[in-house]
Formats: sequence, C-alpha cells, structure tokens
Amino acid sequence: MNPLQALEPYIDDIYTCNRTRCGFCREECPVYRVEGYETYSCRGKMLVARGLLEGTLQPDEEMARMADECLLCGYCAARCALHNVEIITALREALAEAGFQAPKHRANADQILTEGYLFPRTSAIRREGTTPLYLGCLYQSKPAEVKTILSVLEKAGFDPLIADEVCCGYVVEATGDAEGFARAQERFRQVYAPYADQEILTLCPTCTITLRDKYGLRVKPAIVAVAERIGDLRLEPVAMTATYHDPCHLGRMLGVFEEPREIIRALGVHLVEMEHNRTFSTCCGGGGGVTAVNPKLSAEIAKNRVRDALAVGAETIITVCPTCTPTLLRGAGRLANEVDKFVDVLDLWQLLDKALAR
Amino acid sequence: MPTETHIQRAFEDLQAVFGNRVTISPMHRMAYSRDWSPRHRSAQDLPDLVVIPHTTDEVVQLVQVALRYSLPVVPFAGGTGMGGGVAAWRGGIMVETKGLNQILELDLQNLSVTVGAGITVWTLNEHLARHNLWFPHQPESKRACTIGACIGCDNDSTFGIRYGKILENLTNLVLVTGRGEAVRLGHRKASFTSTGYKLMELVVGSEGTLGIVTEATLRVFPLPQTRQVRGYLFRSLNEGAKALERLLAAGLAIDSAHMNDRERLHFYTHSYREKYHREPEVPDWAEAILFISWAGDPDVVEFSMDKTTRILTEEYGAEMVREQEMVDGWWDSKHRLEFIPFKQKWPDSQRVKKFGAADLGLPIGRLDEAYARFREIAAKWHQDILGMTVYNEAPNKATASISFAVFVDDSTEESIRNFYEYVREMSAMAVEMEGTMSSYIGDGDRLGGFNALEHGPSLEYMKQVKALFDPAGIMNPGKKFDTRWLR
Repeated sequence: MNPLQALEPYIDDIYTCNRTRCGFCREECPVYRVEGYETYSCRGKMLVARGLLEGTLQPDEEMARMADECLLCGYCAARCALHNVEIITALREALAEAGFQAPKHRANADQILTEGYLFPRTSAIRREGTTPLYLGCLYQSKPAEVKTILSVLEKAGFDPLIADEVCCGYVVEATGDAEGFARAQERFRQVYAPYADQEILTLCPTCTITLRDKYGLRVKPAIVAVAERIGDLRLEPVAMTATYHDPCHLGRMLGVFEEPREIIRALGVHLVEMEHNRTFSTCCGGGGGVTAVNPKLSAEIAKNRVRDALAVGAETIITVCPTCTPTLLRGAGRLANEVDKFVDVLDLWQLLDKALAR
Repeated sequence: MPTETHIQRAFEDLQAVFGNRVTISPMHRMAYSRDWSPRHRSAQDLPDLVVIPHTTDEVVQLVQVALRYSLPVVPFAGGTGMGGGVAAWRGGIMVETKGLNQILELDLQNLSVTVGAGITVWTLNEHLARHNLWFPHQPESKRACTIGACIGCDNDSTFGIRYGKILENLTNLVLVTGRGEAVRLGHRKASFTSTGYKLMELVVGSEGTLGIVTEATLRVFPLPQTRQVRGYLFRSLNEGAKALERLLAAGLAIDSAHMNDRERLHFYTHSYREKYHREPEVPDWAEAILFISWAGDPDVVEFSMDKTTRILTEEYGAEMVREQEMVDGWWDSKHRLEFIPFKQKWPDSQRVKKFGAADLGLPIGRLDEAYARFREIAAKWHQDILGMTVYNEAPNKATASISFAVFVDDSTEESIRNFYEYVREMSAMAVEMEGTMSSYIGDGDRLGGFNALEHGPSLEYMKQVKALFDPAGIMNPGKKFDTRWLR
C-alpha cells in the first residue's frame, strides 16, 4: 500500500489550511503550549502533511514522535471546519504504514487485538441486570471505581447489566492501525451483538464516542442518565469551591456540558468556570495515547490544566472520565511541588456516592 | 544563501544556549515555511534553523551567533501576514518569538502593561478582562497575532477610529538590534516625549529589518460598559466617508467604523447564509454599507446611536440595515471572531481560491474613483473581485485604509504572477492618487524597491537607518528594499 494513501482523502483540506494560516487552532493547543514549535499545532501538522504528500519531506521517527504527541483532543477541530482530527489520525496511519510507529503504540494495539482488552485485569467484571452498561478497558481494570459507580447507579434506581465485553478498538485506530481496527470492530460486533438494539449506558467518554460513531450504537453516558434523575435523589450538600473539567470526548465531541454541572450544583458545590470550558475546554494531557509515548509531556499538559483551575481560585477539580481523573491528579501532584498549592481532583461518581451515602 | 558549514556551526553554538529549543529538522522548518500571503499552493520558504528564545538575553545571544556566521535572522510571530514578511527566502534563523509571552507588569494605577512581545493580542485581552481592562489595538488576526507582530507590521485595528493603531498605545519597547544589542526605546509609561529622536516610532512597521522586539509597554483602557453595532446603506462610498466625518464632528461615542462595497459584504456574511440559506437583503441602489459601533455607558451609547441614525437618514439619505442579524453576523466575523473557519467565513476565499489584497492608503475624497479603477485593474490582470473595505485607522477622523481584495488562483505560477501585477498597478495608482502603497500589510517581500516610486530619494535615508541598526544586513533580509514579485 502507498503509505500516503491515508492522507489522500484530505488533500483539499490540507491545501486549504496551508494557504490560510489563520491560527485559530494554535494558541490553546495544549501540546503547542508546552512544546513551543508551530509544528505541534494543527496548522503546523498540516504543512508537514503537505510536505509528505509533495515529497519534500520524508517520513521518519521524529515525525512519528510529533504525530504521536497529538492528544487528538479535537480543540483544533472545534475551531475549524476542516477534518483536523481525522487528518492527524491519517498522518499517524501514513507514518505507521511507512514503518514509523511508536513501539508502545504497536504493543498496545497488539495487546488489544490478541487479548481483546488493553489493561491488565484480575477477572472480567460482570453483573446481572436489565440495562446494558458498557465499562470499557479502563474501568474493567478498576474494580473499586466500578463498585462506586454501581453504588450510585443502584441508588438512582438503575439495574445495570454488565455483559461480556471486548475493547471498542479506539486505541488501535487512533495509533495508526486502520486494518487492525477493522478486526477489532469485527470482534466487538460479535461479542456485543445481543445488545446492539438496546440503549447502552456508558462510562468512558472515549468508548462512548467510538460505540456511537464507529458502531452506530444507541449510547447514553451513564452520568447523563443520573442527571436526569438528580431531582429525585436525596443528596447531602458538599461544601467546596470547585471547577469542572470537561473531558474532551464527553464535552466537545458528545455535547455533554450541562448535565455534570447540574449534578455538581445539586450537590451544593460552589462552581467556578475555568477560562477555557465547554466546547473550548482544553485536554487534561491523557488523550491520544500521549501518556504512553511521552508521560513527561502528558504531565506538563496536566499541570497547565491545573494552573487554569488555580487561576480562577478553584481548590478542587471535578471531572468524570477514567483518563482525566488520574492524569489531572498526576499534574496536580507535580505542580504542588512548584507552586506549593495542591489542587485536589475528584471524580464526580466518587463525590456523588458520598453525597448519597450520608 | 548561508553555507552548510555555517549553518551547522551556528546550530552547535545555539544548542549550547537553547538545548532542544533550536532545531535544523526539515519537519520543523517546514512548519515555518509560509504565512497567509498569496503564493503558489506548493510554495515553501524554508529557514535553515528554528529557535525559540524565552528572554531578551537569549535573543541577544542568538543574534550574536547569527552575526558570527553571517546568517539571516527572521522573526516569526502569528504567521498571519499577507505580505510575505516572514518568508525566509534567503534562509537563516527563524526566531519563534511566541516563547516571549510573559506578562511582565500590570500597572493598574497607570493603566499600563508591560509584556513579552510574543503574547497574542487575544491572550493579553483575556488577562486584562479579569481586571476590567482591554487593549484596543485589535487586528482581525488577533487570535494568532502577537504584540510584537502588531509593532513590526503596523497592522490594522478594528477600533482605530477611537484608539488609533499600535503606535498610539505603545509607550516603550525593547529591541535587539542587528548589532546584537538590546536597546530600550520610547518614553517608559508616558504617552509622549519631546526629547531625542523618536526611535521607537521607527521600529513600528519595520518588519524585523532593524531588529527583534522582545518587550513592549502598552497603554490599556477600562472596558466600556456596553457596545452596539449597526449598519447603514449609502448610494456611494464617498457619501459614506463624508457622513462619517460629520458624525465625528458631532462628537458621538463611535469606536469603530468600516465601510464595505456590496461585494465585500458577501465575504463577511457567510454565517448569515449558513443560518438562513439566503442572501442578506441589500437594496439595489445601495453601493456602500457603513458599519458603526458605539461604546461607553448605556445612555451615551443609546443617544449616540439615535443621533447617528437621525444624521445619516435625514442629512445623507442613508438607510439603516433592517436585518440586525446580518449586522451581528458581520460583527462576529470582524471583532468577536465567533465563526468557524471555512464554513462561516472563507468557504470561497480560502477553500476554492485564496484571499489576496492591495492595501492602499488614499485621500478620503477619492474612494469612488479608486473603486472604479480597482475594477478595471483587477479585470486587466484576470483577478476576480472579492470586494473593498475602507478601514478607519486614526483617532477621530475618517481615513481611507483600503483593502482592495480579489480571489487569487494559487494553482499556477502564472496566476500568482498576475496577482502581483495587479498589486503593482494598484500600488502605482495609490502614489498617483496622492496616497500610499500599503496601509496595514507592509512592504514584506512585495513592495521593496518598487516603493522607490513612493519614497523617492528618502529611500536612501531609510537604507542608512537600516545600516545603523543592522550594519551586517542580517535582520530579515529581502524585505523593504527588495521584492520577489514586483518589477
């Protein structure tokens, strides 16, 4: 296969960006903010993509590292009508096809394709019930967190059914293996076939968007389902000043902005907004597989997001994503060493469970 | 062009100072290979190195390395220029100035802010808004454009008619000259000076040819309580300009004024069409649309708006635009920048063809004449007309900083050459009409040399000024005194 084939559908977009240079995508790009070279912003990548297409640049390891250090967070896509995330994914695919893929990404994709899941787990979590709840790889590896979430869902009157699961395959596609993703999809469809016609509650925003967009499934983030019943729940108030971090996939891509905020307000939290919120929220640093290939960069991005919270006087960041919570917590810990102030990071499920337990 | 040996040695010397903030990687150089200027779609001007300084001292060090190896030094900021100002067509060191992005001092008592020159206008204003302040020099490129670029390019500002351009609000700067020295120019936090020569003013519009601006002190202002925007239709551009002068004489709280011809309106109203699937209503008789904003306390704004409408309709036969949503869409496109690129703006001017403009400054009474000749010259060089906007860029007076815009076909070298022939003829027309060739884009790599037609013998004095600041001729060579395009 011609390694550049993946980029060809986007040639018009690439030239359009090249001739424009508006830079709407650049300044808040979390990776550019840390790395400083234009190359890391979307418009920089678009010039690199053109160089590849025209043969003035050749694929190499440095280029693959640059592409792998994109969070695929979609900030640039929210600022632009071009297919930015798809183009960067295609860039990764082209580079992988040319033989330049991060070993860690290859290992992760192989793990998913071989075992059916990404992260080590003691045993698969299952639950008898009536409403399908898809956990995804991350939550399958976090039984304590799942216990908390199930506790909330049960108190809210849900009867979740956790069936046999395999990975949705997002990581396989996002790290440049289109052919492997097709195989991952086939397996997912076989395993999850019994629930294909039902509404599926989901926890991980990334799985949610993959199930919706790549499989055409009817999905609803479980946190939205809880928000719909929040008025019926007896909650003990929580006294704190906090900000809410919009996970990229849950917010920008699925459009879930207000429901988590409604829950937070119902808990009595004094909610303050960061400068960049909702559609134009910026990534925690955990997106796109960046943590796997460059944990230091991921931590620097997380620190910047925690700085955003500090700038508006928040003592706590609340979020609702199995990637954002630990990533921000890591950033908060490291930043505390520099600014002598620790901003706590809480998962909304955890907060809800405590408020419901009292 | 620099030799490979010099480039390699410079790289090694710079690495000792900058570590991984300097690179010779082709990939990174490619990311700095063009700005927003009309070029062939495959054009690229690759610098030899890219370096990201964080302090004035680091800029001094990199200029000293450049002097050691006779390498060109090209400052790069927003990358949104339309005159090829950052095209490294003679290679050299591309200086990524956006690493100089600190807010160094916010002096609330004196309404003054000192910043690293690499901060964007947008980010600065986000910061100032937390203190109920703003910096009113606001080019349309402000999301990406830096304060250093505003100084270097002397670009346009939406609020020029009340606050002027960057120079009106710049009180001090630090320049690292081509001698590799940092010099502080200006008058600290005072708004003016009568002492010495006005060297700070020389730097405004110098496009990096004298040195690199690393720090700037700016006058800031309290945010107005409210702002309203309306549009008015006129039978001619000259009528609109006369009416604007009358409004200013009346003493109203106007803070922006822009006049478009009918065709240019199309450029600004894609979001309207996107929403309503139809063209905004503009009567056949209307040749010009004047958009005005007023800012201040609500009662003052309300009065100014009513008085404006009375003057324009009763004394000039103008008509207020009935569809306020069209006006709001225009404002979103012009100032608030609340649009999605290539959908609600630029779907035709960037996706299919490219936006290109001659940016003449003309006497205010010759707009209709210029408009007619614009159409003739564009037709002669096979340029499709995108339209004309008259910007008002000086406080309290009608001015004619004009964008004569066309759609540029960037698929062939010939069509690009035709565009620059169009710019050449328009620029000559500006001088003939007692105006200037450029009022907000700058010389870039377009007008240098050809601008002798405008400057005459004074161009030689300008060369002497350049030699004083940059005796080795390393600072952004190929700009101001050379052109790649006009013959």
